[in-house]
Amino acid sequence: MSMGLTIIITGALVAASCGFLGCFLILRRMAMLGDAISHAVLPGIVIAFLMSGSRDSLPMLLGAAALGLLCTFFIQSLRSQGVQSDAAISVTFTALFAIGVILVSLYTRQVDLDLDCVLYGEIAYVPWDTLYLFGNNIGPKAIWGVGTAFILSFLVVGLFFKEFKIVSFDPQMAAALGIPVLLIHYLLMGLVSITTVASFESVGAILVVAMLTVPSATAYLLTDRLETMLAISVGVGILSSLFGYWLSLIFNASIAGSMTVAAGIFFILAFLFSPLHGVVTRWLIRRKMRAATDQP
Amino acid sequence: MKRNKKWTFMVLGFMIATMLILSACGVQEGSDIPEDGPFQVTATTGMVGDAVKNVGGKRVEVTTLMGPGVDPHLYKASQGDIKKLDDAHMIFYNGIHLEGKMTEILDKISKEKPVIAVAEKIDKKDLIKTGDNEYDPHVWFDVDLWIQTVKRVETELSNADPKHKEDYQKRANDYIKKLEELDRYAEKQIKSIPQERRVLVTAHDAFGYFGKAYDIEVVGLQGISTASEYGLKDVQRIVKLLVDREIKAVFVESSVPKRSIQAVVKGTEKKGHKISIGGELFSDAMGKEGTVEGTYVGMVRHNVDTIVSALK
Repeated sequence: MSMGLTIIITGALVAASCGFLGCFLILRRMAMLGDAISHAVLPGIVIAFLMSGSRDSLPMLLGAAALGLLCTFFIQSLRSQGVQSDAAISVTFTALFAIGVILVSLYTRQVDLDLDCVLYGEIAYVPWDTLYLFGNNIGPKAIWGVGTAFILSFLVVGLFFKEFKIVSFDPQMAAALGIPVLLIHYLLMGLVSITTVASFESVGAILVVAMLTVPSATAYLLTDRLETMLAISVGVGILSSLFGYWLSLIFNASIAGSMTVAAGIFFILAFLFSPLHGVVTRWLIRRKMRAATDQP
Repeated sequence: MKRNKKWTFMVLGFMIATMLILSACGVQEGSDIPEDGPFQVTATTGMVGDAVKNVGGKRVEVTTLMGPGVDPHLYKASQGDIKKLDDAHMIFYNGIHLEGKMTEILDKISKEKPVIAVAEKIDKKDLIKTGDNEYDPHVWFDVDLWIQTVKRVETELSNADPKHKEDYQKRANDYIKKLEELDRYAEKQIKSIPQERRVLVTAHDAFGYFGKAYDIEVVGLQGISTASEYGLKDVQRIVKLLVDREIKAVFVESSVPKRSIQAVVKGTEKKGHKISIGGELFSDAMGKEGTVEGTYVGMVRHNVDTIVSALK
């Protein structure tokens, strides 16, 4: 398999799993959760470093995963106590990030311990970062890691799809129907946390944060049905990966950056030309209506 | 909602099958070094690339990943870098965690072709310790230590391409002679600064080895990583030091923003002590290719001359 194909598939997997979960976040007005997690994991890696004394991938990943879960747990707890979603997100992640900064300045000043250096991966190197099982090369680690996170999300959401759907649109009704609303919330947040941390480790922060929001926001403009929205979001994510890789090839630029720009271009297209909500479409409809009413 | 569950499992089955097929195909094996004509070597930093160029001569064609002015801590790969790593017959990098997370990737590539961390074999007791198992990676500012890495480059090139062993040996010896001369030059020049004023204040602790080798006190504003912020106390401490010891100049670096060092300059001015910015030093990256500062020797000379003329 060529290097380019591996990278495109990794990008598509990240885009699909983030785009899938991102739809539920957009519906809950929690789109910035990915960005929040990307900052909140800092104390996790510092503590993992202080405990293990090394900057190897595994302790860093475990520390980050623990803090990612803790972060989503705090956010959800604050929300269920009546704090607004955006406020809960920003309070939690700034506090956790600040704790991380203090820990770095207290204990690890002399060590190069920033997120870019020890946690965030780079999608360009994915083809070389292979896993070995019993001495056999079983393919890129990122595909396994992100793929597993995707399958897990897909399985959990698929099995409880009805519950996820009702809780997203009408939590009161869900509670009245006897659905464990809080459990579903925590479940979703946990899935987001696992998927984002696994993806950070493989492809870096920017791509994950973007794919969690942009494809689902695009899909939101194009449909009013959740099932269709999920499908479009995943589709836009995969297309962004393909188109973005092509952009990076032409401009010899950062691959993750190009994929993010591609997703942005798709969003702008949907924003302008969506058959339901597009700016240009609505203008055309208004003009047609005016022409119709002007006629005697 | 039976229909939903059926769908879920169908899609899932398809995905797992695709993943298994995909993962079955790995990266192809690296190719052997060609008999004649130059072979491809990729280096991470300009300093490492320069060492390989000097030892390899015309037999190697060196490409570097991190260009002039690029801070290795903040380096981002671009699409073209994939080809540079893939096409290389050999890869040389600094090591001691300078390349950060990329080290793991380089380690994986080493299963296919020779990948060498030039600073790895330096005796641990010569390195500056920064943690239990952590060392300062900026070894290139002690020319004497850097000579060890040049020897390592020579050994590894000879191992990979034994036919040209003698050429490598000859070029390495010539180059080491130049470096030894450079080492003496740096020592002599820095010594010409009066002892009490021999203090190098700079924005980024990349000069630890320089200070140790040439007996000049190094005071940094930040921690070792460019990403860690400097505290208010750091600035105050350095302002006090500058005023007390009447140091004439502080230094900016090519790969660190000038903002942090300017805070110190302002602070000393308030206390009535005049200080100048002593000029630009090269720290994590060399100058532009084709210029004198674009080579290792030129870069070290530039740093030494800049420091001496500002502090003397």
